[in-house]
Amino acid sequence: MESDMVLRLVVGLALTFGILAFAGRRMAFLVKLARSGKPAVGRLTDPTARVEAEAVEVLGQKKLLKWTIPGIAHVFAFWGFLVLGATILEVYGALFIPDFAIPVVGHWSLVGFLEDLFGLLVLVGITIFAILRLRNNPEVKGRWSRFFGSHTSGAWIILFMIFNVVWTLFLYRAAQYNTGVFPFMDGGAFVTEIVAGWLEPLGETANEWLETIGIWLQIAVVLLFLLIVLHSKHLHIGAAPINVFTSRRPDALGPLLPMMYNGEPLNFEDPPEDALFGKGHIAEFTWKGYVDFMACTECGRCQSQCPAWNTEKPLSPKLMIMNLRDTMFAQSDYLLAAKGKHPGLGEFDEAALNSLSPEVRAEVERPFIGSREGSDHSAEDGYTFDGHRTTGADLPIIDEEALWNCTTCGACVNQCPVDIEHIDHFIDMRRNQVMIASDFPSELNGLFKNLENKGNPWGMNASDRNAWIEEVDFEVAVFGANGEDTIPADVDYLFWVGCAGAFEDRAKRTTKNVAELMNIAGVKFMVLGEGETCTGDPARRAGNEFLFQMQAAQNVEVLNEIKATKIVVTCPHCLNTLKREYPQLGGNYEVVHHTELLNDLVKAGRLTPVNKIDKTVTYHDPCYLGRHNKVYVPPRELVKATADTTVEMERSGDRSFCCGAGGARMWMEEKIGTRINQNRGDEAIATGAKRIAVACPFCSVMLNDAVTSRQQEEGRAVGVEVVDVSTLLLNATKA
Amino acid sequence: MKIAVCVKQVPDSWAEKKLRDGDAILDRAAVEGVMNELDEYAVEEALKIVEANGSGEVIVVSMGPDRAAEAVRKALSMGADAGIHLADAGLEGSDAVATSYALAKVIDGRGFDLVLFGSESTDARMSVVPAMVAERLGLAQLTFANKVEVAGGSVTIDRVSDNGVETITAALPAVVSVVEKINEPRYPSFKGIMAAKKKPVETLSAADAGLDAGQVGLAAAWSKVDSFAARPPKAAGVVVQDEGNGGIAIADFLAAQKIL
Repeated sequence: MESDMVLRLVVGLALTFGILAFAGRRMAFLVKLARSGKPAVGRLTDPTARVEAEAVEVLGQKKLLKWTIPGIAHVFAFWGFLVLGATILEVYGALFIPDFAIPVVGHWSLVGFLEDLFGLLVLVGITIFAILRLRNNPEVKGRWSRFFGSHTSGAWIILFMIFNVVWTLFLYRAAQYNTGVFPFMDGGAFVTEIVAGWLEPLGETANEWLETIGIWLQIAVVLLFLLIVLHSKHLHIGAAPINVFTSRRPDALGPLLPMMYNGEPLNFEDPPEDALFGKGHIAEFTWKGYVDFMACTECGRCQSQCPAWNTEKPLSPKLMIMNLRDTMFAQSDYLLAAKGKHPGLGEFDEAALNSLSPEVRAEVERPFIGSREGSDHSAEDGYTFDGHRTTGADLPIIDEEALWNCTTCGACVNQCPVDIEHIDHFIDMRRNQVMIASDFPSELNGLFKNLENKGNPWGMNASDRNAWIEEVDFEVAVFGANGEDTIPADVDYLFWVGCAGAFEDRAKRTTKNVAELMNIAGVKFMVLGEGETCTGDPARRAGNEFLFQMQAAQNVEVLNEIKATKIVVTCPHCLNTLKREYPQLGGNYEVVHHTELLNDLVKAGRLTPVNKIDKTVTYHDPCYLGRHNKVYVPPRELVKATADTTVEMERSGDRSFCCGAGGARMWMEEKIGTRINQNRGDEAIATGAKRIAVACPFCSVMLNDAVTSRQQEEGRAVGVEVVDVSTLLLNATKA
Repeated sequence: MKIAVCVKQVPDSWAEKKLRDGDAILDRAAVEGVMNELDEYAVEEALKIVEANGSGEVIVVSMGPDRAAEAVRKALSMGADAGIHLADAGLEGSDAVATSYALAKVIDGRGFDLVLFGSESTDARMSVVPAMVAERLGLAQLTFANKVEVAGGSVTIDRVSDNGVETITAALPAVVSVVEKINEPRYPSFKGIMAAKKKPVETLSAADAGLDAGQVGLAAAWSKVDSFAARPPKAAGVVVQDEGNGGIAIADFLAAQKIL
């Protein structure tokens, strides 16, 4: 018995140290790799929110549970692994002491019960995962599977390894039970007892050997699993908690991050020589970017929600992140050699470059962003269903088409269980394309010129900003008309009309509605008229941060000078910029969307819908009102107040599907795949609703186009109209 | 390959423009100034020729008030190498003849292989300055190009006109004007905007350029504005209600306008 224990210990420790040496090396490599990224700022501020995120999103698995069945399966696996941590302690104890038990609680039946229960639940979890993978087989379902492009064979290996962890666990535990050294001889470990019943007939010697072999197997399997985790997408076990902890809180939606230089906002007037303008190479990403890439587990929830991917365009947020991760690993020799000294702007750290093997060097010098048109699988960002990507010395790493496909709708960020910040990475790459490479969709030329020269995307004259006022039959106060220097104290709101609200016909109607409703309710408001210019949202989302900074600085200066405090807008993009982004430039205002204000007025009895519409209404959530700014309820309450029957689309609330216009896509052509607005329009039409209520000028245009194009076909979308929520309210308010 | 590109700052094409009360000159100060859009195509083409050639220099030449320097900077931010800005109060009110005289004086003797223009300015819209400059320099003029090829000491263009497309070749040096179909002007990158701040711009007065003051400015213009009036506001259109006779009503209306 004595010599058996020595053998058990020697083999057990040999296995452990042998494998841990490899694991340790890999871990050190990963840590060094992550640390080689450029600095990221503010990732540890507000520790309370970060601890809370860890509790809610990691321990509480909140984002995973957005999807019930996969979420529960993951809860089983995750909590199973936490609880089974105790069995790791026990198995190592048993290397030294045959009847080892954890001190104090080690013999409690409850502990034995929990260990067995979670061991069993892990099995249930991986069985569900296996079924999900079979039902969503990307080989059969193609791009409509969320696993398209994920490394499916790797995923099966992981499931197999988890299975191995569980069966070896019960093997040695059952054998321990039969040899009488099990810590929970007094009951509780119900699975162990059943398995022990199966092994008992083999006799005592066999069980003694099974105990030792089981312990070796358990240790070997756990350690091998660790090695596999460290070399696969399953790295999220370690990376995800770090990523959640250092993520943007509450989420990476709403404002975009300002461009930084050495921890300070970049000065565009006089930028330092070595400042970076966006990301034009994998070596230009921050350490947080690298941790994002390591944390991706290829689950494909982002892909399943992405408007671009769902309309057969090359962009999938998942494939983009996988691609960046694979690039990071392929170029890791360079990243580690350059030690953060990669100069960027098309330059390389020469010493680091010269230290590389020819293959790695070629990879490092491969074009980063460019056209992959005509290459294999270009409609799927170069990926096959099982995660192989077309490569080639001249093929750029990032497909520019995919990069510009993004509408910045935020569905991916909202879904990601490990808090990857997809949009920030895409915009950073767009910034490089606009400000450094000057290589972007040519339609944006016109947008940028119009913003620069005319202060609005349509190139209209500022003098026409007040044209709508001539079309209403009540007084509208225009700032400065009576010689005001600041907004008078008795004015409740500055009404920020917005470029669409001033120049685009459908949005102009919304402007007039809202003005009239405020007038009826006795809300005193004032407009800036010619003093308004574009907030800069389209420029910023198109990657033209320089132009955004100019527009924003001008607006903040005006708004601060006239002492604006409360602002009402009709455009969710204006809302997001004024409310969430201008604080970055010293502009702090209380900004509300018209649906919020109008809803408050209805609730306060200052507006009374008397004439409810007798048609069914469905409401489409604008991305920048909903996901980006979490305004879901007020517009719905308004719609309910003005309509007898309402119906929800399947994709609504935080899973609303983009109209296709965000991220400056409003001004770009949609050349590949089907049309995003049509996809959404068809969904709205299919509800049977006769009114599609919107709350954003761009959604209004996009969905109206979609409905109109269906109405060209016989008998389709008959009598369906796209209207702003304010139109419903105004019609209902007028007797 | 040394290329001159002549650019003009014009009032924003879509803005409302006014003539000054006293001298009936376009009131440039009242409106936002932008680089003449057609000139952007000329700058782009020059940059493309130099890029294709592997080496060369693009010099922007502009005549205009002080703030026309913005147009020069814009061209530099697109990638031109240096600028020459001819600015002199005495040049104000110059017509096309005087402008061509001044530009030719600046360009002459600097060893340019090619002089590029946009085919017209969006404010005056005369399209004659490129031809006049060519005449004054004694160079071949190849105007309204929608394709330019430079090879072996000669330039070949596709000249578009109402009658079709002609292919024209001339020996260098030559003067070429381009139309907007020729290319897609690049958007200046931020890097380009920063670099432009450090590029040399030579500012010349009329005297520096050796101009005869009697040949430029309003006084030397070959035409004179006696009087002008604002265009009357657009009258409301005629709405024809179709009550079965819509077609006839429209035909009557067009006949009354002498269109039919």
